[in-house]
Amino acid sequence: MTEIIQIIIDALSLGSLYALGALGIALIFGVMRLVNFAHGDTIAFCVFALLWPSIDAAAVVFAGHLPTVLLIPLILLIGAGLSVLSEIIVFRRFRKANPATMMIASFALGFVIRYFLLMLYSSRPKSINLWESLGESIGFLGARVPLLQIVTVAITLGILGLLTLFLKRSRYGLEMRAAAENFTMARMLGVRANRVIMLAFALSGMLAATTGLILVTQTGTVDIQMGASVMLIAFIATVIGGLGSLTGAVTAGYLIGAASVLMQVVLPLDARPFRDAFVYGAVIVTLIWRPNGLFVARSAKQRV
Amino acid sequence: MVARKSVLARTISTPIILTLILLAVAGLSLWVNNGIFTRTIVEVFIRVMVVVGLYTFIGNSGVVSFGHIGFMCMGAYATAWFTIPPAMKKYSLRGLPEIISHNQLSFSLSITLATLFAGIFAYLFGKILVRLSGITGSIATFAMLAMINTVYSNWETVTGATSSIVGIPRKTDLWTGFAGAELAVIVAYLYAISRSGLALRSARDEAIAAAASGVDIARERLKAFVVSGMILGAAGALYAHFLGVLTPDAFYLGLTFISLSMLVVGGMNSLSGAVVGVVVLSAIIELLRTLEKGIAIGNQTWALPHGTQEIAIGGVMIVILIFRPSGLTRNQELSWSGWPFSERSSRQKSSIKDGVSEGASA
Amino acid sequence: MSVSGETIMRHLTKIAFGMLMAGLSLGASAQAADIVVGFATASSGFMQAYDKPAQDAALIRIDEINKAGGLLGRQIKVVTADTKTDRAEGAKAGLEVIDKGADLVIVSCDYDFGSPAALAAEAAGKISMFLCAESVKAGIQGVGPHSFSASILAAVQGATMVDWSYNKKNARTYYRLLDTWTEYNKGVCDGFDWQLPKMKDAKLVGSDTFKNEDTSIAAQITRIKSLPKPPDAIMLCSMMPGVVSAIKQIRAAGITSMILNGSSVDGSYWLSATPDLSDFYVPVQGSIYGDDPNKDVTVFNAKYKAATGGDPSSQYVYPGYVLIDVWAKAVARAGTTDADAVTAKLEAMKDEPTLFGPRTFTSELHHQNKGKYLIVDVNKGKPSVVGDWTIAEPIPLSYLLKQ
Repeated sequence: MTEIIQIIIDALSLGSLYALGALGIALIFGVMRLVNFAHGDTIAFCVFALLWPSIDAAAVVFAGHLPTVLLIPLILLIGAGLSVLSEIIVFRRFRKANPATMMIASFALGFVIRYFLLMLYSSRPKSINLWESLGESIGFLGARVPLLQIVTVAITLGILGLLTLFLKRSRYGLEMRAAAENFTMARMLGVRANRVIMLAFALSGMLAATTGLILVTQTGTVDIQMGASVMLIAFIATVIGGLGSLTGAVTAGYLIGAASVLMQVVLPLDARPFRDAFVYGAVIVTLIWRPNGLFVARSAKQRV
Repeated sequence: MVARKSVLARTISTPIILTLILLAVAGLSLWVNNGIFTRTIVEVFIRVMVVVGLYTFIGNSGVVSFGHIGFMCMGAYATAWFTIPPAMKKYSLRGLPEIISHNQLSFSLSITLATLFAGIFAYLFGKILVRLSGITGSIATFAMLAMINTVYSNWETVTGATSSIVGIPRKTDLWTGFAGAELAVIVAYLYAISRSGLALRSARDEAIAAAASGVDIARERLKAFVVSGMILGAAGALYAHFLGVLTPDAFYLGLTFISLSMLVVGGMNSLSGAVVGVVVLSAIIELLRTLEKGIAIGNQTWALPHGTQEIAIGGVMIVILIFRPSGLTRNQELSWSGWPFSERSSRQKSSIKDGVSEGASA
Repeated sequence: MSVSGETIMRHLTKIAFGMLMAGLSLGASAQAADIVVGFATASSGFMQAYDKPAQDAALIRIDEINKAGGLLGRQIKVVTADTKTDRAEGAKAGLEVIDKGADLVIVSCDYDFGSPAALAAEAAGKISMFLCAESVKAGIQGVGPHSFSASILAAVQGATMVDWSYNKKNARTYYRLLDTWTEYNKGVCDGFDWQLPKMKDAKLVGSDTFKNEDTSIAAQITRIKSLPKPPDAIMLCSMMPGVVSAIKQIRAAGITSMILNGSSVDGSYWLSATPDLSDFYVPVQGSIYGDDPNKDVTVFNAKYKAATGGDPSSQYVYPGYVLIDVWAKAVARAGTTDADAVTAKLEAMKDEPTLFGPRTFTSELHHQNKGKYLIVDVNKGKPSVVGDWTIAEPIPLSYLLKQ
């Protein structure tokens, strides 16, 4: 029994990471149909902001030394800032471009960010210990669980709640939802496109910062490529969840997390290295079964 | 419209111009006559194959595939299986069937078989994947790439897993590279003007109308998928014989994105775009690398800091796309009669909504 | 309008070509009087951080030799070319240093990234040496008869850790956790697999895999925790950056078994991620912590700091020094830099003493399948040498090649 609880918590905490990532991608996809491949590099950038630029092997901690009450807003601000800046400098020029062009532009931007970090910090992964006390284990329904896992799940659920409130209750949220449903129509009805898009980028940047902080707390490592794998899964989750559906993206994030943990548990040792092949196989099956995503039907119904 | 010229007659100038470009590139290499520069050029030719192969599916179908580098991986490993001396592969690749592990094939036969091998798998994957359009199709092809990569990175006895495969004869030289690129251009051209190519492009631009006119979109896509997979397979095989060493991670996201970037920067809906994208971006990369190595001005050597090249190329791509969102060729074919053979789409499709309707239809 | 793409292209090719010519004219060939050592290594991209330290160490040895009057009465001159952490560029970098007259081609640390340049050197009949590759392929098996590596095989690290922990720490139950990302990781676990059955009463109580990029290894940890009794030792075959995350998560889950590693985790630069880490053991060729039993190593560390401005970050600095050392000795003995003659002298080396342990090369293996390792113990976050260990018998070549 404790083992099952443990597995559920493992799945939830991994799924939370994916869900946060997916949310960051889905928000932007929703308002401007941009598959933002720079999201992973934004995550890395936020994490590197904890350190002072140096190519030495040992990390020179900078922002990472700030007290938590300052540190978290600062990193969130950096994420939002970089994200909004990308929109102003790059993505704004691509409003009328086709999705493939935008996607490649975002990839090129990510490339620039990545190699910029590489020049400043070198490719060697750096180590940093944030919020050490989160590494401790606590008893939870009979299982011993690292506090961080619980915190990750709690933060994700908290963010989801806040974001739902924001989208449902505030004027900006309403505008964003309208833009996500039908951008042209929303503009005609008086939604200011640039403002909504910038807001989406700011939120997405903050989600990237959150993902980054959780990743770095969990792994203790700051690495150029650290956002990449989360971003890919998040990207898949966004599509499986249903284009533009935030609920769908989050649900799919949790599903992929669960599938990944479950495969690791049930596969025999020889097949375990092939775990991802099974996970991606499941992705293809899901896409064939529901080409428009798991949640598209519900949002279509709402529109009527 | 009585005496309308045939498609071939109207469009034949495109492959001829592209051939001339490739010949010019080869000629440049002969003129410089430097081993290092020649290797750069051979690499450019292999890249031309890769990007032209991508164009064959992506350009004609409008579905951006993230998965085709997987077929390059398959082609590369297949030729490795066929050409590594039996004494070596007997141990390093124990899982191979005896008929492969005890024999060694010639360069040309091996390339052909590797191309077919990639084609067979393109057919099998294509069967499943061609039903998906838009971003869903892209994600599904990415999932395919990830599956191929996971299998090749872990199947110890057949692919050597993450361990490098060695002993592949290094036979790709300037002229095999040129021949590969030229052949890829010709095949891509012939497919593009074939009945299937025309039908597929009509479906790309107006899916519903095309379906109503009797175009079986999935079937035509499958054809393009297989042709494209085979070109990629051949490119992979030549790459294997170019480098002599293989690991699966060389055929993953890095290469996928660079090749896609070259296609989009060139103009993803035109064959000329594929070739121009590769040649222009390769030239810029080479230029930047030379600057990084340093150039002499008077008595002083002036060089860019190491690592600037990657940052700059990303910036260059963004700038090109800002000024030419449909790529350097604006999705048109190079031709001396002045007008392209089929492309008018670049001006139609512009609104942001289009991506969605495309994803939802078909 | 359809032509302008081409125009741009033509324009750019012209410029690129002009630059290239300018670049080529710079690479003037070395004077015949000098012996030329060429570094076809990464000065940019991912591998740069791994190549540079070993390269700096190699340069220190070259400097020492030059100051002591040179080699065969000639000075050693260094030429370099950047592989940009790209395989195809690597082959070109190899050719470039050969064009500049290199008698010895030194290639990237990692086999995958170094081999294209090494193959180019082999094709040109030059000796190639990997800065610190630890795969059996980095040598005759993966390049050719004139290729060498100065480091010690990954498998020796795994075997050393088993042998040492069994004898010195009384470990009897082992758990094997493999990160399937690289050949190095698998090599360490191969050595573990070879050594473990030789240990009487030692038992493998479980085995699992993970991927370096996995952000969470919770499922793997749950599996360890559901064992009836925690294992005495966990053999962790992994490398940066994923290994830090794995260690952090293992300890956070309350698993206190000793953790055995390959050399890849050496260095104190990452220890801040896991404060108070204990019962953590690493095999190293020399100590960067200032407590090497061989005082000359500490002297070298000081030299390294003077030359580069920083202490060595890990033991992977040392193979670069060894590389030039053994090659120069072989050249001196052969009286020439000719590849065949120098190879013959290198293959004649048996337990050749170097600053960082003995080196043996044979006509079958240009790598170390046995070697002396210092054992570093990390105790409460403080690493220090607690002894050294040499496995009793070399790991057979046939096992390494999986024959």
